[in-house]
Amino acid sequence: GLWTRCDHCGVILYIKHLKENQRVCFGCGYHLQMSSTERIESLVDANTWRPFDEMVSPCDPLEFRDQKAYTERLKDAQERTGLQDAVQTGTGLLDGIPIALGVMDFHFMGGSMGSVVGEKITRLIEYATQEGLPVILVCASGGARMQEGILSLMQMAKISAALHIHQNCAKLLYISVLTSPTTGGVTASFAMLGDLLFAEPKALIGFAGRRVIEQTLQEQLPDDFQTAEYLLHHGLLDLIVPRSFLKQALSETLTLYKEAPLK
Amino acid sequence: MVQVVAVQGAAASCCRPIAASSLREQQSGLGRLNGRPQLRSARRLGLAVRAKGKAGDPPDVPKPRLDRAGGREWLQSILSRFGPVREKASNTTVLDFEKPLVELDNRIKEVRQVAEENGVDVSNQIKELEERAKQLRKDTYNRLTPIQRLQVARHPNRPTFLDIALNISDKFVELHGDRGGLDDPAMVCGLGSIDGVSFMFIGHQKGRNTKENIYRNFGMPQPNGYRKALRFMRHADKFGFPIVTFVDTPGAYAGKNAEELGQGEAIALNLREMFGLRVPIISVVIGEGGSGGALAIGCANRSLIMENSVYYVASPEACAAILWKSRDKANTATEALRITPDDLLRFGVMDEKVQEPLGAAHTDPMAAFPYVKEAILRNYRRYEGMTAEEVQLDRYSKFRKLGMWEEFLVAGGKNKEAREALESAAGATTAAGTWAPTADDAKFIEMMADMEDKWQQTLQTKQEWVNKPDMPAGVSQPGLMELAVATIEVQRQMASGEDAAVDDSSTAAAAKSNPNGSGSQLVADAN
Repeated sequence: GLWTRCDHCGVILYIKHLKENQRVCFGCGYHLQMSSTERIESLVDANTWRPFDEMVSPCDPLEFRDQKAYTERLKDAQERTGLQDAVQTGTGLLDGIPIALGVMDFHFMGGSMGSVVGEKITRLIEYATQEGLPVILVCASGGARMQEGILSLMQMAKISAALHIHQNCAKLLYISVLTSPTTGGVTASFAMLGDLLFAEPKALIGFAGRRVIEQTLQEQLPDDFQTAEYLLHHGLLDLIVPRSFLKQALSETLTLYKEAPLK
Repeated sequence: MVQVVAVQGAAASCCRPIAASSLREQQSGLGRLNGRPQLRSARRLGLAVRAKGKAGDPPDVPKPRLDRAGGREWLQSILSRFGPVREKASNTTVLDFEKPLVELDNRIKEVRQVAEENGVDVSNQIKELEERAKQLRKDTYNRLTPIQRLQVARHPNRPTFLDIALNISDKFVELHGDRGGLDDPAMVCGLGSIDGVSFMFIGHQKGRNTKENIYRNFGMPQPNGYRKALRFMRHADKFGFPIVTFVDTPGAYAGKNAEELGQGEAIALNLREMFGLRVPIISVVIGEGGSGGALAIGCANRSLIMENSVYYVASPEACAAILWKSRDKANTATEALRITPDDLLRFGVMDEKVQEPLGAAHTDPMAAFPYVKEAILRNYRRYEGMTAEEVQLDRYSKFRKLGMWEEFLVAGGKNKEAREALESAAGATTAAGTWAPTADDAKFIEMMADMEDKWQQTLQTKQEWVNKPDMPAGVSQPGLMELAVATIEVQRQMASGEDAAVDDSSTAAAAKSNPNGSGSQLVADAN
């Protein structure tokens, strides 16, 4: 369609203008969800993006069928987004700085992490370790993909293992950019492992779902529970960066780390 | 003259060692008078009349402590709070499918009783009944459905971590605290020795009755529990204790405080740091393994699972609520999620199934413990000769190959059809001679190769930004990990010829370094 509504203030937004404004609402400044392609365009310099593993495709290990067969859901999501799974990985230049970038896409089955997401991100991190590049992962996910069962859970361990070698053994930089929403298994693995944690304003970041917590505790939670500002206040984030400033923030940060004299 | 002593003075003159008295009170409950708890307040003692002696003087000789318990009991009371259960569970739970077994047992008892009363010899009939009971029990427990297995894994009488730890170890001492202001009863860590070998024990602890469950938070740790586990894992790494972890949790606790303390971050940190430990880690799933909360202590070199335990990415109730939009569909979700040990072995997620006695562990816990002990020791001995790097690489490679994916385009997850299409594809070759299914694919491969060259050229101009780590000479190609993994597998196969039987029973896919992940073997098995 041509129009959409802001989730926060309800104002009507013309999609063409919204895209030019990096999907930030004109009325209230609320950051709407960005597709992974748009995110890559906004962060990586033109004509420098080199994608990895575009052909890697998911399978159906459990032969899962809930209200719809998993294969059907995959087909719909693949046709709708043009991607094979919920992440795009690759290398490129950010303001002339070579980086390894991975961007998750919430439009593909809610950004859920399955075997392909795990494998692609792990390969990206291993490549970055080999070449000595910093890794930037833009996270947007509803959690682990339940249709792939226990294999989705193991991806958490797999990515964390690759990050151990990248961060602790090779002592390279990993910046995690948390966008709305980042929940579940992704929060409990690579999203919170960044050497630096940047978040977008008012992003929903948490581990357990809000309704689950309310049911467990039988009490009302504050309105700003699990927003980026709340996490910042509780010491769980490094910085909140508005989207318009994100590329510059990353570039200046990487420059600071390059100028570290005693590497 | 009667002296009514001041309150403080009385407290000083007749004080007891605080630790023993308060602990004893905890053990035996506060004294009760008229149904109300009676605190031994200083004031009550202080108003007692003291006829002689000055206020505030300590006694010249130690007073006989007639009311203190004997040495070992007192020691136990401060060293471990895990004693026999004082309040027995009000009724022993019998699961639905166990009811016929229990009825049969009761009938045998009745027959025996009647025979004794009347002096009749019915030993043949009793033997026949017992045979039937045993056969029925065997049949039932060999063919448990996933739903039944989940019920057994969650059974209230199933042995907990401390039950197992105290029974398989010669010595065990529980240690506490995350050194950050909090302890967590749901996560228990301790040092112990099994057959003379010292281990670090870490595990989730559920309660054995309702009161204990509330104290232990039903085995659901908070961030402080995971940080405590990490502290002890680092401790074990420093001093060279192999780590054995026992997984038995419905999941990490979902609470407001837990979120504020950083539940996600605590789990993530555990996941990452466990891959940096140089000591072998063995993990045993003794109950239910709930998602990230279980994986946070489950990134092990060898993952064992008891025959009637389960391990899931999301609890069937939560899965049903999210995917089927109704919690009533939990049974369908249990079947669909493939949480039983056989499924987990097939996926390569678990390495070995630990046998349980007939009737599952809750029926005969004492018979279950030797199986666990033997499995832990045998799996530990695989790592006895290995160096730290080999242990780390073994753990890394185990998780590196988990997952199921295809390297080529597959529409809608239908990889069987895609593979067949690949077989019958016309085929084309790229300029360099690589085979591709179609001309478009060939062009794509060429384009990718060009982009790779362009990127390498760009990188040459940006060397100031690059911090390449030191690699061994001649090893700069991708595939380093696969090569190292394959080397370790070959070494292990050559070294442990007698373990070949065990390896075969676990998934054979693990023995081959499979670039398409362990799950793709399922396609081969299913065909």
